[in-house]
Amino acid sequence: MTDFKKIEENLKTEAGRLLKEGLVTVVLSYGKGFDENHPMPYAAKTIADVENIVFNQYCNYNMARYLVRYPQGTKIAIAVKAADSRAVIQLIQEEKVKRENLVILGIPVQGMKNPKTGEVIDSKTTCGLYNPVLYDILLGEEVHGQKNALPYEVLAEYEAMDKDARWEFWEKELNKCIRCYACRKACPMCYCDPCFIDQSKPKWADKAPQSPGNMMYHLTRFHHLAGRCIDCGECSRACPVDIPLYLFHKKVAKECEEMFNQKAGMSIEDKPVLVDFRVEDSDKILE
Amino acid sequence: MLKKTAIENISQLAAVLMEKGTLLAPVKEVSCHNFAEISDPQKVDLKFYNTLMSPKSAFFPHREDFVKYKVGKPLSEAEHTILNLKPAFLFGVRPCDVKSFEIMDIHFNAAGIIDPYWRARREATTIFGYAYDINQPVDSADFYNTLGIYAADPEGSDIFMVKKDKELLLKSITPKGEKLLAELSALEKASSGDEKYYEDYIKKGKDYKTRFTCVDSEVIAKKIESIFDNTDFWTKMSAACLSCGICTFSCPNCYCFDICDDTLFGKGTRSRVWDACMFTDFTLEASGHNPRTQVYQRLRQKVSHKYSYHVRKYGVISCVGCGRCTRQCPVNIDIYSIIEAALKA
Repeated sequence: MTDFKKIEENLKTEAGRLLKEGLVTVVLSYGKGFDENHPMPYAAKTIADVENIVFNQYCNYNMARYLVRYPQGTKIAIAVKAADSRAVIQLIQEEKVKRENLVILGIPVQGMKNPKTGEVIDSKTTCGLYNPVLYDILLGEEVHGQKNALPYEVLAEYEAMDKDARWEFWEKELNKCIRCYACRKACPMCYCDPCFIDQSKPKWADKAPQSPGNMMYHLTRFHHLAGRCIDCGECSRACPVDIPLYLFHKKVAKECEEMFNQKAGMSIEDKPVLVDFRVEDSDKILE
Repeated sequence: MLKKTAIENISQLAAVLMEKGTLLAPVKEVSCHNFAEISDPQKVDLKFYNTLMSPKSAFFPHREDFVKYKVGKPLSEAEHTILNLKPAFLFGVRPCDVKSFEIMDIHFNAAGIIDPYWRARREATTIFGYAYDINQPVDSADFYNTLGIYAADPEGSDIFMVKKDKELLLKSITPKGEKLLAELSALEKASSGDEKYYEDYIKKGKDYKTRFTCVDSEVIAKKIESIFDNTDFWTKMSAACLSCGICTFSCPNCYCFDICDDTLFGKGTRSRVWDACMFTDFTLEASGHNPRTQVYQRLRQKVSHKYSYHVRKYGVISCVGCGRCTRQCPVNIDIYSIIEAALKA
């Protein structure tokens, strides 16, 4: 793997070039935070801004989250790691952003760390890929020959639980929720405006952090992301109270994959599974 | 009065306090500590840096029910919630958080604006402040020194505790604390060596350095007011902000709330629930108009409220530098850096 410093250098070079040549108006990447272990998502808009770009093991943010903030038609360069590139693809599929307006800067990387826990981020909480699925410019050498744990392996324990045990599990976990909404805000696929939970007519759930409102919020959000979640794990990392949101998302993703033979965000030619109809589609859901 | 106990015997002290009333103390959760009402004295855990959520919920719970009513029935049949409070003990509060109660009193317990719920809880509660461990490194997010607060400030606590190796020294600060401490016979008497250790610890607290910038409340208030229209500045500061609510929910000084009516099958509850200025619907008006649709406007509001409007209205900054908003932020937005940048803007 190309080392972090070299990737940072390449990122700066490409960002500088793209801004200088006027090919993009903004470069979405990572910037200096209050110290080295706390970098931030960063939008570089001028050549002078490029100096602030950083890349290190804590740059785990999914920059695709910020794409929908810019008006359609804005020329954007975006730095993506493997899962992030899947989010970009999914957003293209959902027509939130157009392929021709993007310059995708791919970062093949492994060993990213969660700044809060110091743990290496792997296939437990993410899709576990190392190389971006889609890119225009690659900022490092692709990672090959690494043994990948499969993204759904972590589900074994969860799937061993029966229906009642699962309900109990989620009731306990979701009761911890304080309804700060960091999960939906960190999620690149959560762009509904307004989010159903913010509506007052009808009011779908009460505002206080308790059951059944917590259940209503999370179960609805989980299902809104069926076939769309690209398994970047940002929701779980953003959660201040450590709810393992990734488990539910992975479970739904796995079922979608089994039923429709398609993984979210793998090709811009695909249509999102729940807006597409094929005669050969599984009827399992109706049984 | 100074007393002491071995930290490993802390559950004995907890049990005594539980007999006297409600005990709120730090407990270990999956990867953090939080204040919780203690039902098992063994659960009290003082091996924490600071809690994830601030202790404000001891006086200002996330949800507070006011009235239970039935739709279509006369108002006289509605039931008001009456607090039957036992004495409460808020155990192990860091000095910066203790300071936050004083600032929150301005809103809930000052002449003219009295919140009976806040006041009742405040009066029923004895606060056990707990100095930061000055032998451990300071967290990089903390900046309470900037707000004039130090690691071992006993002001505001009824009883103040410092750690002496494997022992806990407890010093009474107020008459309320003095009375309680005298009653706690489970504690041992402290020696004159302990007295000296305690006094030295309080002094050394001043040398335990967090991040520091010279911030004069009048100067920063004026400065932030003057850059209100500097959209470039606020857009830059908020470029990463996700607009979630964790900074305000974990903040010991954020007090915004919403009054909610929740009705199901004709039965309703009117309650007060925490709200956050970082939420899009916080300023959504009944007409559909929203004066703060942009993230930069919301972040500007949060920072301005704490460091400018609050100073203008009440004379103090509404921040104690506990570092929670920075530590919890999913994208590492740091209010201290924003203040530093504002001073240079």
